[in-house]
Amino acid sequence: MAGVTGELTGRPPTNQSVVSTAGLTKHYGTVHALTDLTVDVGPGVTGLVGANGAGKSTLIKILLGLLEPTSGRASVLGHDIEHASQEIRRLVGYMPEHDCLPPDVSASDFVVHMARMSGLGASPARERAADVLRHVGLDEERYRPMGGYSTGMKQRAKLAQALVHDPRLVFLDEPTNGLDPAARTDMLRLVQRIGSEFGIAVLVTSHLLGELEQVSDHVIVLDGGHLLRSSATTDFTRQTGNLLVEVVGTEAERDLLGEALAKRGLTCRPRGTMVAIDPPPPELAEGGATHDLIRDVAADLGLGLMRLEPDRGHLEDVFLEGSAHV
Amino acid sequence: MSERSGVIHDLGYRHYDGMRDGTATIARTLFVTGLRHTYGLGRSGKSKILPFILLAMATLPAAIIVGVVVLTGLDRLPVSYADYTHQVQLLTSLYAAAQAPVLFSRDLRHRSIVLYLARPLSSSVFAVTRWLSLTTSLLIFMWVPTLLLFAGAMLAGLDKSDQLEGLLKAAALQLLLAALVAGLTGLISSVSLRRGFAVVGSVVALIVLSGVVTSVQAISDSQDADSIGVAAGLLSPWSIYGGLGDAWHAGVVTFTPPGSAWALAYVLFAVVLTALCVLGLVARFRKVGSR
Repeated sequence: MAGVTGELTGRPPTNQSVVSTAGLTKHYGTVHALTDLTVDVGPGVTGLVGANGAGKSTLIKILLGLLEPTSGRASVLGHDIEHASQEIRRLVGYMPEHDCLPPDVSASDFVVHMARMSGLGASPARERAADVLRHVGLDEERYRPMGGYSTGMKQRAKLAQALVHDPRLVFLDEPTNGLDPAARTDMLRLVQRIGSEFGIAVLVTSHLLGELEQVSDHVIVLDGGHLLRSSATTDFTRQTGNLLVEVVGTEAERDLLGEALAKRGLTCRPRGTMVAIDPPPPELAEGGATHDLIRDVAADLGLGLMRLEPDRGHLEDVFLEGSAHV
Repeated sequence: MSERSGVIHDLGYRHYDGMRDGTATIARTLFVTGLRHTYGLGRSGKSKILPFILLAMATLPAAIIVGVVVLTGLDRLPVSYADYTHQVQLLTSLYAAAQAPVLFSRDLRHRSIVLYLARPLSSSVFAVTRWLSLTTSLLIFMWVPTLLLFAGAMLAGLDKSDQLEGLLKAAALQLLLAALVAGLTGLISSVSLRRGFAVVGSVVALIVLSGVVTSVQAISDSQDADSIGVAAGLLSPWSIYGGLGDAWHAGVVTFTPPGSAWALAYVLFAVVLTALCVLGLVARFRKVGSR
């Protein structure tokens, strides 16, 4: 049996990539779960997005050594998944998507046991479990059997067991699944804290694009087992050069403003309750001339200007672009 | 200005830079936890009732025998060590059937197996450790009354070397039996995840099958067709135990005792069957873990 008793794990600087794959492929018969995936994951929070069945969970299971890839290579924290899978499992935490908690055990006992299964001694396991349960926000209920927990509490308990051994990387598979909006916000804030304050690299999956936009530093988009795009979140949400204008009133006022602006040489189209303005022609582009023009037009028409802001990209756009390419 | 006391400091997230156990130590922790769980220790109060009632029932006759031997000054135990286990086989079978699901169904049914397999222990080490826990638990179940009998025999001043020989034969037979029963009931429990089905499956494999084999052996004995009875003995862990106990003169009497060649076949069969059960468990855990 490999593994050394009494090992000390120091924390080397984590500015290198924590996960890196090369040509990773997984086929189940005719189902192609992952196809030739080559991607790097850095420190901080990385979002892994894609529709259900895009290959997100498959990728995590391969990285954990629970599934064997059909072909390709991958390494996690510098360890090759084929040869050092046990070493990888010492250093990472995993929160699965599905329910995985025994109902007749308390969160406190369960998290302590899971800490021991990761190699912590009896008393550090108890200390760490108490600490981590406090961080994820399970208070008195930690002493009750988990069968009676709400979905939000179960997700917290699942997160606690993934963090209890102080991993250097956690895989969080759909942590916001089944949560109500308030609990979802709490969970996302917690994910962000894990990446920044706790200093643990996070690979978090979701099929909801919007929520990952808020918390991740980097986003990897999978579609049908293929890599659609991998880049910094700021690249996705960069300013598009368009302007968004909203005025007090209904669609009639919106259209009134749009038509008036079009007459002054701007390309406008309605978007919801707002007017979206394409990047202005050169003569209006300098020194905020467009902004002045919009202000003046609204004033001339007697419309109350409510909002005037630069338009930003969204993760959803990648899917639109992606499907346009394919 | 006086210092304020009783302030709670939020230390924020703290990293753990202490020692971490190797695989062998983690497996040992899993082994001990599993062993404790089979007796309900570290679980709810309710789950302690059944194992301890069964253990008490399996030990009570031994306590009575010890009392009789010590008080009346018999020159030998009325039942041999190996035969005692054979006589209380129903209780041992019930214990195995009831407690195997604790180790082999729960993690699979609630999918917590995935959390184990995402940690250093591999699926094969996990399955083997679980099997060792149940084997040891069964050995304890059988050894408590056996050792009580031995202590009584020593108190009554019976011949030490005779008793020790009987004890060692019983221990070897019990080891073989425990390993096989743990493998069989473990495999049944890991496949039928509902506790009820798992218990019924194990009861059929241990109690019903044993009854059928004994009947077949009785009939073949009366029809002078001993070889059929001997061959049928392979079909149940208890008939393997009884047959070997008879062949090795450990005080067990069966209808159709195997000859020396057949006794060897019994041992080999038990070992191979145990190994197959353990391999089956490894495959089962690996498959569920990757889902």
